[in-house]
This record gives sequence, C-alpha cells and structure tokens, in this order.
Amino acid sequence: MSLDTELLKSLYFDMYAIRRFEEEVETYSKKGSIPGFVHLSIGQEAAQAGAVRALRTGDYKFPDHRGHGAICLCGTERRLVMAEIFGKATGINGGRGGSMHVNDLKFRNMGFNGIQGSTVVSALGTAFAAKYTKTDDVTLVFLGDGTLGEGTCHESMNMAATWKLPVIYCLINNHYAISTRYDESHPQKQLATWADGYEVPNAIVDGNDVEAVYEAVRAAADRGRAGGGPTMLELMTYRWQGHFSGDPAAYRPDEEVAAWKARCPVAKCRKALLEERKVAPAELAELERKADLEIAECVRFSLESPWPDTRAAIAHVYDGFEAEDWK
Amino acid sequence: MAERTLTFTKALNEAIHQGMEADPSVFIIGEDVAKMGGDFGVTQGVWNRWPDRAFDTALSESAIVGLSTMAGACGLRPVAELMFADFSGVCFDQLVNNAAKLRFMYNGAAGAQMVVRAVTGSGIRCAYHHSQCVEPWFMNVPGLVIVAPATPYEAKGLLLASIRNNNPVIFLEHKLLYNMKGLVPEEPYELPLFKCNIETEGEHLTIVASMSMLGMAQKTAAELKKEGVNAEIINPRTLFPLDKETIRDSVAKTGRLVIMQEGPKFMGSGAEIGAMVAEDVFEYLAAPIRRVTSLDVPVAFSPGLEDYINPKLDQALAACREILSY
Repeated sequence: MSLDTELLKSLYFDMYAIRRFEEEVETYSKKGSIPGFVHLSIGQEAAQAGAVRALRTGDYKFPDHRGHGAICLCGTERRLVMAEIFGKATGINGGRGGSMHVNDLKFRNMGFNGIQGSTVVSALGTAFAAKYTKTDDVTLVFLGDGTLGEGTCHESMNMAATWKLPVIYCLINNHYAISTRYDESHPQKQLATWADGYEVPNAIVDGNDVEAVYEAVRAAADRGRAGGGPTMLELMTYRWQGHFSGDPAAYRPDEEVAAWKARCPVAKCRKALLEERKVAPAELAELERKADLEIAECVRFSLESPWPDTRAAIAHVYDGFEAEDWK
Repeated sequence: MAERTLTFTKALNEAIHQGMEADPSVFIIGEDVAKMGGDFGVTQGVWNRWPDRAFDTALSESAIVGLSTMAGACGLRPVAELMFADFSGVCFDQLVNNAAKLRFMYNGAAGAQMVVRAVTGSGIRCAYHHSQCVEPWFMNVPGLVIVAPATPYEAKGLLLASIRNNNPVIFLEHKLLYNMKGLVPEEPYELPLFKCNIETEGEHLTIVASMSMLGMAQKTAAELKKEGVNAEIINPRTLFPLDKETIRDSVAKTGRLVIMQEGPKFMGSGAEIGAMVAEDVFEYLAAPIRRVTSLDVPVAFSPGLEDYINPKLDQALAACREILSY
C-alpha cells in the first residue's frame, strides 16, 4: 500500500518546512537572537512528519527535545512556535518555556519536559485518561535511543502493556545520545526488540522514509484505538548536526555523516514525487516557495515581537493564588 | 454535624470514600491500594465499591506519579499512594520536574491536579528507608503543595480539600498518628489549605508544630500552664506554601518563638519559619528563636537509637523555659 499522492505532497511540504524552520533557528541561534541552546532536527524530518500526520488532532502527543518539527505539525501556528523558541511574549507559552517546552493543549501537544524519560511515564497518564473516560484517543510519545537508558522506560512499558494502554512508543534512533552510539550503551542490535520482553508489538522502520513512518504509526494507532495496547516503533534515522547547535560533533566519522546525508529524507520524498508520482517540478517549486514565505514570516514575527512582561515570570505557578512578587 | 470518634486512618478512609462518591473523576492508584486496601489500611473498601476506579500497580513509583500527574492534567483527580514517603526518592523527577512545573508550562490552562498520599515520619522502628520526614526535600520546589494533618478531624477535612484542589498536593500521613482517635463529623467537609490553625491562644510564647509534633507542643503547653505561662500553639496544616501571616502575627504578639519539628535540623521546615520570623518581625522578638528538632543523622533502627535522635518533651520544655527567662 502506498500513500495517496496528495497526502505525500502535503508530507513533503511539512518536511521541507521543518528543514527551513530548523535552518533559520540555527542561523538566529548562532547570531544570538535565540537565547540558550537549541536541539535541531535536520535529518529527522520524515520521522516527525510521518508520525504526527498519521494521528488525529485529538490524539495526545509528547514531542521530544529535538522536536521543533513535530511541534509545528500538531496544529499550533508555526510562527507562535518560533516566537516561543525566541523567548518572546507572543510565543505560544509566553516565553516561559522556550525550545524545550513548547506545548499547546488545544492541539494536545502535551509538551516535552526537558528530562529524558520523564514524558515516557507521562504518556501513561493521557493514555489512562482516554481509557478511563472511554474515548479512543491514543498517545504518541517520542523518545530517542538515548532515552531508552532511563528506568522510566521500563516502568512505562510494563504498565502500558499490562493494562493495554494505547501508547505508541515512537523511538527515533538517530544513533547518538550526544556522543555515545546506541550500540555502545545497549546490548540489543535493534532497540525495537527491547519491547519483546514486555510482549509489546514492535517494528523497525526506515525513519527517513516518510511513507513507511506514516503507515507504521497509523497501524500502531489503529491497534491502540481498538484496545490492542501499546506498540513500539524504532525509526532509524540520523541527526545531521551536533547534539545542540554549535556542537561540532567530532565524535562521528565523516563517512558516516556523509552516508546519511546522501539518504536525505526530504530529497527522498521529492524524488518519489517527481519520478514515481510524476508530479510536475513546478508544483513542488510552488510548495517550496510557499514554505519559504511562511518561514520568513515566522522569523520576522519572532524578531519583531516584544520580550515578555516580567509579570509572566511569576504567573501560573499555582492555581488559585499568585506567587509572591518582589516587595 | 453528627460527630463520632474515629481513628486517623478511618478518617482518611472516609474522606477517600466521600471524595469518590462525589466525583467520578476521582480514582486511587498505587501499590496494594486496591484489593488489600493499602499497607496501612487507608484505602480499604474502595476497590470493593468501585473496582474500576482502584488500581494496584507494579512497584513503579515513577509510573504511578507520572500517570497521575498527566491524568490530572487531563481533568481526572487521582489519589496516588506512596507506601512510604521515603520512596518519593524513586519518583523525585516526576514530582519536582513534572508535576510542580506543569501549570507553569501550560500557561495556567491545566495542571497536575492530584494528591500523592505519602506515609511519613519515624517512631515505629523501621529504620532510615521507612522513617524519614521528607517535606524539606520538596519545600524548595514552587508549584508543589505540602499538606500535613495532625488529627483525625484534620485528616479528613484536609484530604477532601486536597482532592478537590487543582494543585499537586503531597499529603503527608504520619505513621504514628494512624491510630490516634478523635471526633470527626460524618458529613463531607473541607478544611482550608494554605492556612495555619491556631490550636491554642496564648500571649507569652508561640509554638509552631505540625503532625506528631503537635502532641508534644500540647504537652509542653500543659506543663508551662502550671507555671503560669500561656503558650500559643500554631499548627501550619499546609507546610508549603506557608501561611506566614498567622505565624508573624502570633510572634508579633508573644515576642517568643519555639519551633518543634521532627527530622534533621539543618534546612528543615523550622529553618525557614525561623528565618522568616527573624527577617520580618525581628523588632517584636524579645528572645532568640529556638528549634527543637531531630539530630542531623539518618533514622536508626534499634528503639533506643531511634528515640535518641528525635526531639523529646524535656528538650521542648527546656527550650521554652530558656527563652521565657531570656
């Protein structure tokens, strides 16, 4: 089964936009317009677009710390995401969260919380709530090859499997936890097989093939909705940059990086559209132009937006009363 | 309201039953809380009445608290149990990095509305992994609420209030209090969170004491009464965020403060209360602040060793007499 061409075109648009978004984030991070550090997802666009687009808006999503791309696809206006990364008042979270904590409950983007493995148990809560209230919304949690070292992964999968909770463990294997390769820190050759111990269905997926990702996540979501419990997917991919923008990633062999860049997920999708689906080059160029304009607008909006009022720093700590301000 | 005598355990149990009767979004989750009814019997009968709202889990504190945190954010009202508060070390991340920050992260749109009941304190000879007073671990984490009842009446009223509150509440149940008996109204009722209770009014000296220390404070006050001293006893009920006003007003009136606190002295809750008073109402103080606490050591097992490190009545009396004659 292959995806409808219109759907594949929209996935191409999504991936291309993620690429452009991340390139601008990198540029403005290096210029110093973006405070703190950012984790870029260039090279992982297919994993993010394929996974999020295979879900319904009402499904719960937990992006990971390399998740700008996934976040932009949950439904939130893209420029509000970028403004948050810039720490501006117009950011979707008022500048309180930044790159690692962009969330939007309207679209059930439940957010990443900055600690590896933490959201892996959070995912139990949304999946539990869906089951408790007898709805068929599923939960997808992104994790990385590094995350799997956290003990919470065991607690989460054990509970989800025992209680048949609709959780999709979407493990983006980009090969490195900062500098440590996954095969240096885990005994399994493929991390998906880790789920065998919990009797959880699992699959290894080409994470640079957006169609394969979409179909695998859709099947996992269908299983979850039907009461079949959790699924673990291992999406094999690669991050092109260092762990954070500015990390030269000297710990990786140049040939390895080059080989993965040759397998660019965006170029792969473009090629499929042109050669297999016979989409006219001009049509793709138009999609690209549209994305370029939207990303340029994200940058303009973020640069021109004001910094948050300092009142935002003490808001929403508790329900029912405000935290004390300076006297 | 009709009242009858209940144990602290039974009062908590009644609060859970009444909380669940009133609101179908309330459920209980934890290790041995369903079929067994809890290691200390607090959740007895819940599973029998609501088998689909009582969940026994694997030994997975991070999963219990992580699930509860996010189920709360989805609008449910979980009542989770940590069999011993010491086990909060296992799920520390979920409490301090997740539950505490969620409302802030979600722009106030939702938060980790849940109660994490945790069995705290020493006194039943179970050594340093089942006896600690953990409240200072969490009192430096804005976003969390720490509730500490001292009587059966408070246990029921504060637990019902905590279940209905929209913030993440760590609800401390001191194991020495479980068998304490007291008058408890039959009907559901809430006691205010974030508000100290003035247990006894007095003009010569302020004593701040919570949980099992309240009993020691009352014994101390009774002895002092014979000497013509009227102590004002303040029970914080919510340790964090603290109702500072009631304590400051009391010390402004009496000019003297003794804090009785189980657990290590260094950076204990008493340290913050003392610092707050010294900072805010220094000019009203007629004598130095005194703290009666445990020693700064782990809780040892053998009865003589455990008793040795904990605060005692004669120390409490000596501290009060010392500052009264200052």
